[in-house]
Formats: sequence, structure tokens, C-alpha cells
Amino acid sequence: MSSAGTSHSDKAIQAQRSGGLGELIAKRPEFVTLFLLVAICLGVTIANPAFLQASTLIDIGRASVVTGLFALGVFVVLAAGGIDVSFTAIAALTMYSITLLVQNFAPDLSIIAVFAIAVAGGVFLGVVNGYLVYSLRVPSLIVTIGTQYLFRGGLLAFIGTTWIMELPGEMGTFGRISLLEVEAVNGALISLPLYFLILPAVAVLTWWIMRRTLMGRAIFSLGGNPEVTARLGYNVKIVHLFVFGYAGALAGLAGIVHITANRLANPFDLVGTEIAVIAAVVLGGARITGGTGSVIGTMLGVLLVVVVDNVLVMVGIPSTWQRVFVGAFILLAAAFFVTRQRKFKPAK
Amino acid sequence: MTQQDQQNRCFLELRNIHKRFGGVHALRGVDMSLEAGEVYHLLGENGCGKSTVIKIMAGAHPPSEGQIILDGEVHKELTPIQSLDFGIETVYQDLSLIPNLTVMENVALGEQLVEGHGRLLRTLDRARLKDTATKALSQVGLTVTAELLSTIVSELPLAIRQLVAIARAIACEARLVIMDEPTTSLTRREVENLIEVVSRLRSQNVAVLFVTHKLEECYRIGGHAIVFRDGLCVAQGPINNYTRADLAELMTGRQISEKRYRTAGPSTETLMALDGLEVPGRFNDVSFKLHKGEVLGITGLSDSGRNELALAIAGISPASSGSISVNGKPVRIHSAPESIKAGIGYVPEDRLSEGLFLTKSIYQNEIALILTKLANKFGILDMKKGKEIARNISEKMRLNTGDIELPVSALSGGNQQRVLIGRWLSIDPEILVLHGPTVGVDVGSKDAIYQTIQKMAEEGMGLVIVSDDLPELLQNCDRILVMNAGEVVADLNGASANEDEIYQAMLGSVQEGAA
Repeated sequence: MSSAGTSHSDKAIQAQRSGGLGELIAKRPEFVTLFLLVAICLGVTIANPAFLQASTLIDIGRASVVTGLFALGVFVVLAAGGIDVSFTAIAALTMYSITLLVQNFAPDLSIIAVFAIAVAGGVFLGVVNGYLVYSLRVPSLIVTIGTQYLFRGGLLAFIGTTWIMELPGEMGTFGRISLLEVEAVNGALISLPLYFLILPAVAVLTWWIMRRTLMGRAIFSLGGNPEVTARLGYNVKIVHLFVFGYAGALAGLAGIVHITANRLANPFDLVGTEIAVIAAVVLGGARITGGTGSVIGTMLGVLLVVVVDNVLVMVGIPSTWQRVFVGAFILLAAAFFVTRQRKFKPAK
Repeated sequence: MTQQDQQNRCFLELRNIHKRFGGVHALRGVDMSLEAGEVYHLLGENGCGKSTVIKIMAGAHPPSEGQIILDGEVHKELTPIQSLDFGIETVYQDLSLIPNLTVMENVALGEQLVEGHGRLLRTLDRARLKDTATKALSQVGLTVTAELLSTIVSELPLAIRQLVAIARAIACEARLVIMDEPTTSLTRREVENLIEVVSRLRSQNVAVLFVTHKLEECYRIGGHAIVFRDGLCVAQGPINNYTRADLAELMTGRQISEKRYRTAGPSTETLMALDGLEVPGRFNDVSFKLHKGEVLGITGLSDSGRNELALAIAGISPASSGSISVNGKPVRIHSAPESIKAGIGYVPEDRLSEGLFLTKSIYQNEIALILTKLANKFGILDMKKGKEIARNISEKMRLNTGDIELPVSALSGGNQQRVLIGRWLSIDPEILVLHGPTVGVDVGSKDAIYQTIQKMAEEGMGLVIVSDDLPELLQNCDRILVMNAGEVVADLNGASANEDEIYQAMLGSVQEGAA
């Protein structure tokens, strides 16, 4: 149709799209995360060349599985405009209850079945969150603070407080199956465990759901404007149940990975690490107000947090300083994102 | 064929629809029937129930009573997905776009959602997404590039967002397209294009329902008028059977003439003078004088620089060069407070997001500018005095509620605008810049606002009205400045100018380019 009639509109679009690097960062904030990550790795390598070896990578990979699974769940909830702080409690509750169940009733249960039960339990608890958020119309932060106390309190009050040192059957052996082994410089044998594969698999699944299904678009849409999303015909209730259920499922998964990796079920574990996970997701470029973020950014954010946690020690920075670093990065990245986004707001 | 004809006729009918919101009886037994391939204009004052009836058809609200009949099938209420499934597409006044999704997704996701009857657990057909979006966007006259398709909607200017919202409505196989004030931020050229889109929809046997305050557009498009007043449908028939005065009377229930409000003339004393004001790329070398008691209109296409000029005078986005003087003294205006200090008040165009505190009460909104004056030395506000002032203002502005504790969000658009203008009465500025003072405001409120404008001018205030509502400018202004491509191209006498003259100045050389 008439192209001249809209020439000014095209100009207006172009005027807003001549930002070069700035625009790239506004659209893909994970580049900032990547930059920080590379900068730290370079700095550490210069200070201590021993950093640059396969065994370090394996260490980092192994350490990021649980945080990564949690973070993917948090990312999905954040994208939908909510927040979840109960996922660690869901993980603790499912992992400990299942360990007890398996120990007492089915010591020969296969690890696949254990994971399936954990996921089902996580989905159930997550759906409780989703249902409460949707039906009470209470901010998800409040609901999940409540359920975090509830799930954890229930675990410690009714299920148990003692450590289980001997994991039953396949739960005990699964964590030791290794994918590949590498000899470190000091001669120690470092192995990448099989369970590591769960993280990339779940990351790809999450990416696929968020980018390639209608559900993914509905999740972002809900995070963008919930009222309009409902008006456009999306079933907002289902989306709520899905995101919290999904975060619950990943929490259940992460719980089992956690105990099989540590070969120990401690009911006091995990709860308290929520903030670090949320920090990782936000460092990956997801806005706390919802509607943004990406799987790749989330993974980079997790790597950043894990690297800071595990690697700074190698250059002689005391572990007490790690928090200072993570805090500074969060502020730095947040300030960066915000100023960028302000610059790229449309002129009215 | 005749059977088909019968099926196509009257595919949607509302019978005795009532809607109550708490104590408010918004719809009081509406009967309406729509036929395929027909154009309808839903007219009425703000608060008459137009938006409510649309939301009932779109499935956003269930009616409290009554029946909705789709193809002879009786429904008590509709869900959004049912309504979309039936082919009712709505362009909402707030556009209802998802700000963080791309243009392509906003336009075309609905098709796949509706196809699966709302089922979300299915993969996207991305090729189809692109095809559908491309087709719909080019139908509304946008040049479709890969860049446009992947642009996040919140990055777009308002006018393009409006076109995107219209594209979404026509992307699916619609049977009824409802457009709630679709032309508010469109330029004349884009409106022409929209009218073309409407006639194409019509030829495809799609019904179109417009909700608008712009009567001249209704006459241009033609079709049926449906007039609402106080939650009732008071008239329905071919629009050409009614004169503008008839429609205004039907809408308000009283006679409103299209008279010129402006009677007195300005004094010759210069109040404000602009000299060579400039914002690079937006407008340049704008100079004019505003006299005491003068009402000056400024108009132009939306990209002519008129909006930026208003913002520069108000200090919101200050000019980079040139000078402004008030009462002969040069003033420095680099921020909104500086502008207020210089005696210049500004009523923004978008009252909802730039002007009002929606959840706060009427009186809190009205005293927002004088809080420091109401405070004693401990910073405690004298609320009694504040309420008295607010009550005074409400009376002057003829608000249709006496309850100044009511939140502003509970008021109709016209009353909200009156609160916003009334706020300035509390500090009595020498100059008041009104940006689109009656956008989305009904006939009755318009009348009240115009009378206030004239009264303020009579008391010696200088007023600048920035607007694209030409009858409004012709009815109210002493002089009308027309801007085109960042420059003032005409300075017309309000009493003798006519719409054609203004249009020609507005379009100027642009018109040749668009032909």
C-alpha cells in the first residue's frame, strides 16, 4: 500500500535504532554478563595461570548444576512477572522425603524413578504456589515466603531433622558415575559426573519452551502486562500454574542432584541460597519486574556467580570477599542495564 | 444464496444487557444488533457505557443480566477466547499491546492461540507467524521490514503502536472488528489509510464498530450511528439521517450549539514572547508573541514539531537555543519547576500517565501544586484549607461530583481533564499551555472545558492550545499558528479561518510527496 504515507513512521523507527553497541546491550543484556565473566577469567588467569586447565572447568561445571537448575526455574517465574523464593524449600522437602521413602520402602528403586517422583513432588508443591498466587491475587513474593516457611517447617517438624549419611541403592551410586575423567596438574583425578548432563538438557528444554511454544510467549506476555494478556484470550490461570509448577519441578530435580552429588541428605541444606540464585538470574539480564530475560543470560549469570564463588580463592582472595564481589557485580550490572534502557525509551 | 444472506445478516445481537459495577448501573438494558459488512459508529459521552458494552462483546466482562446471541446461539456471557473464536477482534483504546513482545508476535500470535482454542501447550508455527504479521501490517500501510517485525513494541512511537494494534485486529479472519478511538494519535494520512482498510473489511463482509468522538470521521466513513446515553441505546440508524447537532443532542440530552466560544478579544499587551526557539531535528526558529487575555492555537501534523514546542515551553524537554520572555523579562526555562516559576502552567496531553495521580482523591490532585504553600513551618499540611481550595476549584470546573474525596480513577475522562486543568487554578499562572485539552473527552465536558478556557482568558490569562482538533481551535482561538516540518508556516485569524485553509498549511509540501 501507499508507502509515502508512512515515511515519517519509518524515520521514527530508524531514529530509535541507531545505537550501535548501546543498542546491542539494551537488547541483549547478557553481553554485559559475558563481558564480566571473561574479564574475571582473564584476570584470574594472569594472577594464577593454574586456573587455565581442564580440571578447573570441570569443577565449575559440577558446581553450577544445582544453582543452574534453580536459576532456570527462577528465570521462568521472573519472565512471567512473578518471583519465587520457595524453590529451595521445595528441593529440601522433596529430596529428604524421597530419600526416607526409598530407604524404608524401596531401596532398589531405580534412579530414573527417583527423579520422576522428585519432579512430580516438585510440580505438586509448585502448583500450590501458582494456585495461591492466582486465586488470592497476592504478590508472589509474599506467597512464596509463606510457602517457603510452610514447606521447610513441615519438613523439619513432621518428617525429620537427622542427616541421612548412607543413601540407599542407586541414589548412593548415581553421583559417582562419571562422564569423563581428567588428571589435574597436581596428579589428582578430577571427574565430570554424569549428572552434569541434566543442566544442559534442562537448559535446552527451557529455551525450547520459552522460545518455541505458545506457552513461552504467554509467559513473557504475562510478565509484560497481565491484564492485557487475559484480555487477549490467554488462560492466565494455566500460565500461573505452569510457571510455578515448572520451577517446582526443577527444584525437585535439583534437590536429588544435590544429595546424590554430596552423598548425604541434610534437611537443613539449600534453604538460604535463594538470594544467590535470584542474583544469578538478574545478573543474566532478566529484569525483576518481569517480561525479559533469556536462558543463555541465565546460564551466564550462574557461571558468573559460580566462578566468583569457586575461583577467587585461587588468586588469594579470601572467601569472605566473594559476597563483596557478587554484590558489586549486581549493582554494576543493574546500573548499566537501567541507564541503557532509559536511553532507549521512545521519545513521545 | 438467500439462506446464506440470512445467515450473514444480524450475526450478533445483544438483548436487554445490564451491567452493574458495585452500585453503578453502567448498562441499563441495551438492545443492539449488528449485521455483517456494515459499519457502525458507537457514539456517546464518556461514562455512557460504550466501553462497557465493547468489553461485554469482547468477553472481558460478563454482563449482569441479558443475552448475547451469536449466529442465533444464545450465550449468557462470553470468555475472551470464545469471543475471538467467533471472530470478534477489538482494538482497545489503550491498544492492549504486550510491551515486551515483538511487533510480529503482537500482531500474529492471536491467530494461533485462537486456532488451538486457547491451548498453550503447542509449538509456534513461526513461518506462519511471519506471514500473517507481514500481511496485516502492510494492510494498515506500514512498510514491513525484518527490522520492524522484530522490534519490541515498547520501543515504537505511539502512532505506530496504534497501527500495530489495528493490524492485530485484522490479522485473523474477523467477522467484527471493534475499534475504540483508533485515530487519536494518527495523522491525517494514516487516518485516510485506516478508512481504506475499513472499506476493504466491509467488502469482505466484515462488520466494523467504531467508538469515537470525532464526528467528522464518522460522516466521512458513513454507515450506521448507534447513540448511547446513560447506559441506554437511545438511537440507531444511518448516520446521514442525523446532523451533528442531532447527534450532540442525542448524546447529551440537551442542545449544544457549535458556536464560537471566543467572544472577547485579547489586549495588545505582550505577555510572552518566543524568539528563535529551537530543538534541533524537532523544530527550529520559532518566534511568536502571546498577548494578555489571548487564546492562541498551535496545530500541525503529529511530526510537525508542535508537541515538542509545547514541551519546550513547559520546560519538560527544554529548547537548546532561542529565548522566552514573560512580561518583557527574559526567563530561563530548563525544567518544569522553572517554567512554573516563570508563571507558565502546562496541562499534558496524556493526562493518565503524565498528569494525574489516579489512585489519589480529587482534592489531593487539585492541591498538588500548592503543597508548599499549605505547609506550616514544621511541614505539616493544612488540609482544611486544602480541601476548601479544592472544593472551590471543583465548583469552578463544574465537576459532576461533589465528593472531592473520590479517587480520580473513578471519574470519566472529561471530569479527569477538568481536575487536571483545575489544578492550575490553585496557583493562577499567567500563561497556561493546554496540550490536547479535549482528547477522548465527551461533548458535555468539552463544553465545560471551553467555557473555562474563555473565562480564564477574560480574566487576563494567556492560553496556548496545542491540538489537532480543528473545530476546537476555530471555536476557541484568537489566532492559530500552523506548524509544518518544524516551522511555523501560517498565522491565521481564528475568527475568519476555516478548516481547509488550515489543512493546506499543515500538509504544505508534504501533500505533494504523499500523492
